[in-house]
Amino acid sequence: MQTNGDEPLKVVPVRHFSRWLAAVVVGILVAMTAHTLVSRIPTGEQICRTVVDGAGHHVRRCHEALQWRFSWDVVGRYLADFNIIKGLGMTLVLTVLTMVIGITLGALVAIMRLSSSRLLSGPAWLFTWFFRGTPVYVQLLFWFNIAAIFPTLDIGIPFGPAVWHIDAVNLFTPFTAALVALGLNEGAYMSEIVRGGIVAVDEGQVEAANSLGLTRFQTLKLVVLPQAMRVIIPPTGNEVISMLKTSSLASAVAVVEVLKAAQNIYSATYEVIPLLIVASLWYLLVTTILSIGQYYVERHFSKGSLRTVPLTPRQRLARDIQGVAGKFRTQRGVRV
Amino acid sequence: MSQPMIEASGVRKSFGALEVLRGVDLVVNRGDVACLIGPSGSGKSTFLRCINHLEQHDAGRLTVDGQLVGYEQRGTALYELNDRQICAERSQIGMVFQRFNLFAHLTALENVTLGPINVRGETPTSARERAMELLRSVGLADKAQNYPSQLSGGQQQRVAIARALAMEPKLMLFDEPTSALDPELVGEVLDAMKQLALNGMTMVVVTHEMGFAREVANQLFFLDEGVVQESGHPRDVLVNPKTDRLSNFLSKVL
Repeated sequence: MQTNGDEPLKVVPVRHFSRWLAAVVVGILVAMTAHTLVSRIPTGEQICRTVVDGAGHHVRRCHEALQWRFSWDVVGRYLADFNIIKGLGMTLVLTVLTMVIGITLGALVAIMRLSSSRLLSGPAWLFTWFFRGTPVYVQLLFWFNIAAIFPTLDIGIPFGPAVWHIDAVNLFTPFTAALVALGLNEGAYMSEIVRGGIVAVDEGQVEAANSLGLTRFQTLKLVVLPQAMRVIIPPTGNEVISMLKTSSLASAVAVVEVLKAAQNIYSATYEVIPLLIVASLWYLLVTTILSIGQYYVERHFSKGSLRTVPLTPRQRLARDIQGVAGKFRTQRGVRV
Repeated sequence: MSQPMIEASGVRKSFGALEVLRGVDLVVNRGDVACLIGPSGSGKSTFLRCINHLEQHDAGRLTVDGQLVGYEQRGTALYELNDRQICAERSQIGMVFQRFNLFAHLTALENVTLGPINVRGETPTSARERAMELLRSVGLADKAQNYPSQLSGGQQQRVAIARALAMEPKLMLFDEPTSALDPELVGEVLDAMKQLALNGMTMVVVTHEMGFAREVANQLFFLDEGVVQESGHPRDVLVNPKTDRLSNFLSKVL
């Protein structure tokens, strides 16, 4: 610290006037949003009751009936509705299964893509090109209607006789169509994520593994993939969260997931907005839980790449509180 | 005289149109400490990498301990070895890299035990015991639980040496092991290598450390333009260079 003789000089921090102004504007917008959320609107009905006034007369007093603009009472009524919860279960099942398909397929396609054999890398490239290049909604409708061009599916010798066959209509139920469509599409995206992770691992790591005599598979499993994970995990977390919401497309082919469950209810009651809010609240809740999980998984895989492991939110909160407390103490002139 | 550890004759290697090795001939005997010196781009690292098949040579004959590297001769035909056979050959040759190449996601101890457990099929307990022994011998027993990013360059390189030794190799290759180190850390790595040489390990060292070459090596090969230009005992070669190329090179590095 600079000193002027014996006296330490006072340090005046920079004033951020524009930042204050922006904070005020944002603050007003936040307040307006909050107000809207809790605001009530007249229903058009009158609520009247008879009261006794000071003079002993019976008087009829009326006021307008109000209701939440966002019908929170309706939201509350349906939030834990059996059909909504059942739909939520379907959403979770769809998300988990499509991600399992997507990650498995993605890893496979990524490894094929990195093969030195054109016969493997070519088809892998083609797969990614096709499934990333067409909208997932179109793919969904395609698989739902696949029975139109493949009335029956045969399993047997390629180009030879069939050993076992099944009607496509029975196989491609709305659920399986959604599973296949979302899974294949996800596989294409995951393959690029996995490939990026593998490519990001330094070549020297592979050479060191080779020089020890590890086989190619062992090198992949013990050296490359664990390190690629650090690069693969964050975008995969995003994919899971994204898939949770993309699975709502399955409502278009009559899979009763949480959105379709909400639609089924509001098509009868016309309470469209409250039921969309119900679905949104569930999506938000699950997304929040997934984000927290993602943070801890990322922390686990950062082992060795960072000198210090990042703090958990609780540790960070403790540090921040201590920091703020410390600031106040120093400002009052107490040394800490 | 027993069979030489490494025998190379006419070893050639090209990267595209660039011919890096143009017929390398050399012999390294059991227990030798051989240093490869030469200007950058002379092919010394490439040759070293051919010895454990990290690079595949295009022509010539290269044997380690009497066995062809990467091929098997049956009659008059050479059969390329498959992944598993190449791995078996490599597992007996230790290699230390310029950039250490420690596995970043594993602790020092796990780096050393990875090979013994997964290649040699050792039990984790015995592998750990031997690994601790090796880390102690390079002075790093107290760093066993540290990740590479928490170690200095010199410490990382010593772990890398311990990792290679854990495979109990019959031959150790060093690819400019001190070139990526801060000057004050070079000594600790050279000391570990010197100790290894005293214990009778056969070593091939690509290096710019002429002091090490003079003091520890008993074979010196000077490579330039992909050919061994001069070779012999470092005492003779370094003091009385026969070719202009070598005296030119030495005047620059000494």
